[in-house]
Amino acid sequence: MKRIYVCHDTLTGIYSALHDAWVESRNGDAGIRFRGRIQQQLFCDYHIVEENEEKVIKIERLIKRHLGYNAYWAVYHALLSDEEQKAEAVFHTMQEARRIADSQKIMDHLGNESVAMVFELSRRVSNESHMYKEFIRFREIQNGVLVSEISPRTQVLTCIADHFADRFPLENWMIIDRTHHVTLLHKAKGPCRLLWDADPDSEALSKLSDEEEKYENLWKGFFDSVSIRERENPKLQQSHLPLRYRDMMPEFTGD
Amino acid sequence: MYDRIQTEMSIYDKLNILSDAAKYDVACTSSGVDRKGDGSGMGNCSKAGICHSFSADGRCISLLKILFTNECIFDCKYCVNRSSNDVVRTSFTPEEVCTLTMEFYRRNYIEGLFLSSGVVKNPDYTMELLYATLYRLRNICNFRGYIHVKAIPGADQRLIRMTGYLADRMSVNIELPTAESLRQLAPHKTRKNILAPMRLVQEQRKENRYEVSVRKDGPRFVPAGQSTQMIIGATPETDFQILNVAESLYDRFELKRVFYSAFVPVNEEIALPAVRRDGPPLLREHRLYQADWLLRFYHFRASELLDEKNPNFNVFLDPKCCWALKHLEQFPVEVNRADYRMLLRVPGIGCKSASRIVKARRMGALDFQDLKRMGVVLKRALYFITCQGKMMFCTKLDEDYITRNLLNTKERLPEGADGMTYRQLSLFDDMSFGVKDAFETVSGKKAGI
Repeated sequence: MKRIYVCHDTLTGIYSALHDAWVESRNGDAGIRFRGRIQQQLFCDYHIVEENEEKVIKIERLIKRHLGYNAYWAVYHALLSDEEQKAEAVFHTMQEARRIADSQKIMDHLGNESVAMVFELSRRVSNESHMYKEFIRFREIQNGVLVSEISPRTQVLTCIADHFADRFPLENWMIIDRTHHVTLLHKAKGPCRLLWDADPDSEALSKLSDEEEKYENLWKGFFDSVSIRERENPKLQQSHLPLRYRDMMPEFTGD
Repeated sequence: MYDRIQTEMSIYDKLNILSDAAKYDVACTSSGVDRKGDGSGMGNCSKAGICHSFSADGRCISLLKILFTNECIFDCKYCVNRSSNDVVRTSFTPEEVCTLTMEFYRRNYIEGLFLSSGVVKNPDYTMELLYATLYRLRNICNFRGYIHVKAIPGADQRLIRMTGYLADRMSVNIELPTAESLRQLAPHKTRKNILAPMRLVQEQRKENRYEVSVRKDGPRFVPAGQSTQMIIGATPETDFQILNVAESLYDRFELKRVFYSAFVPVNEEIALPAVRRDGPPLLREHRLYQADWLLRFYHFRASELLDEKNPNFNVFLDPKCCWALKHLEQFPVEVNRADYRMLLRVPGIGCKSASRIVKARRMGALDFQDLKRMGVVLKRALYFITCQGKMMFCTKLDEDYITRNLLNTKERLPEGADGMTYRQLSLFDDMSFGVKDAFETVSGKKAGI
């Protein structure tokens, strides 16, 4: 009977499920599903995974050692995506790696369906996180903290944290993910922290600093004047900058 | 700086005027240098560059693109800021530029600064102002983001050299493809004056590469390389001439990029072409960029793409397709065996998918489904490739046939792809002509009779 592992849709959860699946059924078939989103199937044995850090460390070590860092990052990114099948694709990729001669080269084996899926998902997540590196806009609130609110499809926060921490080491800033209810906090000269299930006080966030409006207006003015009227091409603009990113950008909001 | 009669303007007006004046400069890339933050200032750079917004004309906004001043002693015929134009003149101060850059950067609006300038008083004086601004930005504001600065032709070599150590990219605009057109349209600039600072930057970069190899943390001179730009369509040069100029700039001056700027008429001037009804020559510019990519990444030479007899690009097909159609004897290419360079020449296969193919075929033979997953554009590639000896559909290796199908993008599959190679004849449709053309042919014949 096919065994299906049930876990939370978090990195810890999925890595724990992968660990259990690998230990118990790496030679057969196994499924991994997420809590609260299961469609019951016949002839399956459902098994709830006990999630802990130990399993995460073990399975990460296994992936790094046998599949290489290239594959590790691909898997990491793929697991942050919004696809239901993501964990199973990773599991099958790991199984496929045992079959080929050099398991380190598994991510080149795009002829395999699961590998291609992991590859595609990892591209989806890293593409979206790149979009957010580009289009995130910070607003300064009254105590000088820079705040940004985003609603991404995938869980991009950990992918963009290093970039912004390196860029603004002396600033206090936070990025709020409204889709997954996670907040990324950065304290000046400190490391980044993730805060789960705690939406920050929206009243404090709406009090902008005195300078903020001035710079937003300067930016809007610049944005308008830098465009060449004879070359206007809204379709091209939209293909580079999809509408769903625009509601957080000052140059597209307001008048 | 303080010898102007005008009263002080607000920074909002200044920014509007000076960014409006800078917008005809094309370069807005922030690529070519990887620099981590140092924990004490603000900013970093990433090799691929980051766009932060896209303006209404669809061009990326990556840098705060401004002129330091729009006062200018030169009188170039195509430029808004030429000395004979009556426009409002204004200047930033170094402090204003620094505050704007830092505050915009903090809010993640921009990736850095693009600083150009009109020539005020003389080239040396202008270059000094640019240097002062960059010095302040780097050393007082501790800015570690991207800076693109213009070298002013005719400025002192030492000034250009010192500025280069503060900037990431430097550029001198070659303006027009030939020396003759430059003489006509930009009477104060000469080819020699433009190429001199280019050569200087090239040689200084060579020297600096050696310095950095000895002392790793030493200052770096223009690490992201230099670029230039040409105006397209203001003068009668052909695409072949333009592409040859670009190629020699890449070969002889080691430029990172050559930008092409479709001519937008801003002045009424007898020496310039009249305003075109269909806007600036954007398609021509696009074809030149496509060819430019073929030169830089696909190992093509200008002489392969165009020649004296066909000096301009095809309007309907991109340069790579055109090349392939003229060299059908080299096709079809077997994807599982062809070398990387040959794969690059297939329409529909880019650098990334070519390298993915080369890696993936070590694991096993590839078929068309795999190619699709790797990002090959089969719509274009299918006429030119085989997988394990088979073509995707039963297509002919015939120039007219492929051209017709490539142009007919609405129809996804080529004629006969479903195995049906015959069709019912009808009086009213014609495979190669539109209805209107067909009608004209018929009526023309009638007139002939």
